[in-house]
Amino acid sequence: MLASLLMVFIAAILTHNIALTYLLGMCPFISLSKSLRTASGMGVAVVFVVTLTAVINWPIYNLILVPTGTELIYYIVFIIVIAATVQLVEMLMERFFPVLQVAFGIFLPLITVNCMVLAVSLFLVIRDYSYLTSIVFAFGSAVGWIVAIVIVAAINEKLKLIGDIPAGMKGPGIIFVITGTLALAFLGFTGVANI
Amino acid sequence: MAITNFKETQSFETIMNGLWRDHPIFSMVLGICSALAVSNKLENAIAMGAGVIFVMVSTATLISLLRSLIPRRVRMITYMVMIASFVIIVDLFLQAFFPNISTALGPYVGLIITNCIIMGRAEAFSSHNGLGQSILDALSNGIAYTYTLASVAIIREVLGFGTLLGYKVTPESWTNWVVMAMAPGAFFVVAVIIWISRTAAGMESE
Amino acid sequence: MKNTMNDIVKMLLFLIIIGTFFTSSLVLMDGYTEPIIERNEIIKMKSGVLNALQIPFTSETLDERFSAHVEQTEIGERTVYVTKEGAVAVPYNGSGLWGPIIGVLAVDPETDRIRGLTIIQQEETPGLGGRIAEDEYLGQFTNKRFSPELELKPEGRAEGENEIDAITGATLSSKAFVKILNEEYSRYKELYEEQS
Repeated sequence: MLASLLMVFIAAILTHNIALTYLLGMCPFISLSKSLRTASGMGVAVVFVVTLTAVINWPIYNLILVPTGTELIYYIVFIIVIAATVQLVEMLMERFFPVLQVAFGIFLPLITVNCMVLAVSLFLVIRDYSYLTSIVFAFGSAVGWIVAIVIVAAINEKLKLIGDIPAGMKGPGIIFVITGTLALAFLGFTGVANI
Repeated sequence: MAITNFKETQSFETIMNGLWRDHPIFSMVLGICSALAVSNKLENAIAMGAGVIFVMVSTATLISLLRSLIPRRVRMITYMVMIASFVIIVDLFLQAFFPNISTALGPYVGLIITNCIIMGRAEAFSSHNGLGQSILDALSNGIAYTYTLASVAIIREVLGFGTLLGYKVTPESWTNWVVMAMAPGAFFVVAVIIWISRTAAGMESE
Repeated sequence: MKNTMNDIVKMLLFLIIIGTFFTSSLVLMDGYTEPIIERNEIIKMKSGVLNALQIPFTSETLDERFSAHVEQTEIGERTVYVTKEGAVAVPYNGSGLWGPIIGVLAVDPETDRIRGLTIIQQEETPGLGGRIAEDEYLGQFTNKRFSPELELKPEGRAEGENEIDAITGATLSSKAFVKILNEEYSRYKELYEEQS
């Protein structure tokens, strides 16, 4: 049991990385991976929201939608839950942890349009995970996303110092090249863990 | 309307902005999530594109018609519910009539909901423009999305599988570039497309 | 005060109308597509079983062929499909390198000999591991035996009746696939022996 949970966690970070294998969450990836600081700030916010929405969405789907035969509308329910969670986290943080709010509060509204949050919830349903596995998978996916965005941002920062990048390649172009190379490198982990 | 005058009309502006100037992917690098993951086969790209066009045009129509009725405070949630409902319709349609494509697309159909372009155009255009203009805007943005996705898919399918829409287009001796069929290939193809289109448009970033 | 009340009532009314509108259109759409989607699932399952048993069929003769040759039974909690000649088609499902591998395995349970097998769904790397789903690869399984289980050999070295060629460059996918077959078959065999 524990071993299979660990397997899912490792797979979500290394072999089935949500950014590098499923190419999800690229919107903020492009805009935020320009600097290491913003990348890690966004990363923390993403871990929080992704895990929390999985914690909420799994019971809603399996305990409310399935028994009542209304699985059909799960897209609508999930997206509303995500939007509400982001709003709630923002309010709670403002109220109780103003320090955190200053540090990564500005990234929260951006998360609603981060497609990986919805994607993680959809994967839970499609793969028919148990509750515990779902939470581990969601947490692992978010950590995997941070790992990817932080590496890309770090390489991008260093590249700027020595860089002689063609004008058309600057910005999004070079980030795609870096991410592609990283995705290629991560293929080396293939087979380490299966989902 | 005479063709010579067409260039000066607002419709022309709307279409051109959608297709090229405000180009959702080359310039704004938006909506890229759903675009990439399914772009290793042209049929997937066309199905996704058709789905996006349907969702965009339907939401634009509704929002434009209801724009004076939608209370401001709940407008975002209204847009979200509309978009999600149309996405469910697309999903059901694919499952019923194109089961193979539906299996291939998996969760990516659902992710049309988080496509930044749809929400962006709903908020920025349809919510304060007339029906005709809104539909034109949605249509041109949707078509732009489709041809971008299709151009990535054409490159990846030809190089990665040696086929186009499932038909063999490369010589017998062709060796498939496996990397093109996998995730890294998508990143590289998009990088090259961005490079070419930016250089062609003479644009500089930052 | 009255104004804000009015606003809230208006807002609620609006949400209710929109909600009803979408719910009813979704219910309509669902009612329309549900039988077609169910039919698609049945076609997928039936053609998988017939393909695995190597019974030729066309889309018109699918139902007729299926009911003429195959009978659905339960063994333990598994659904399997038995033919008159005693062969059995067992649906299998396991995790490959990138995602689930789902298909049907047709075996003669007395001799453990494989009649044929199909893959209905897999997500292995196209062009490498994805080749497990090609007829050319699946063809080699016919007439192999689970004795006691299948063994993977490097490409071109499979000689014994329980030996299977791996795919060069995609050993992990072929390994995962053979492992699924072994596990699923031994599970079925156990149930089969219990029953007889």
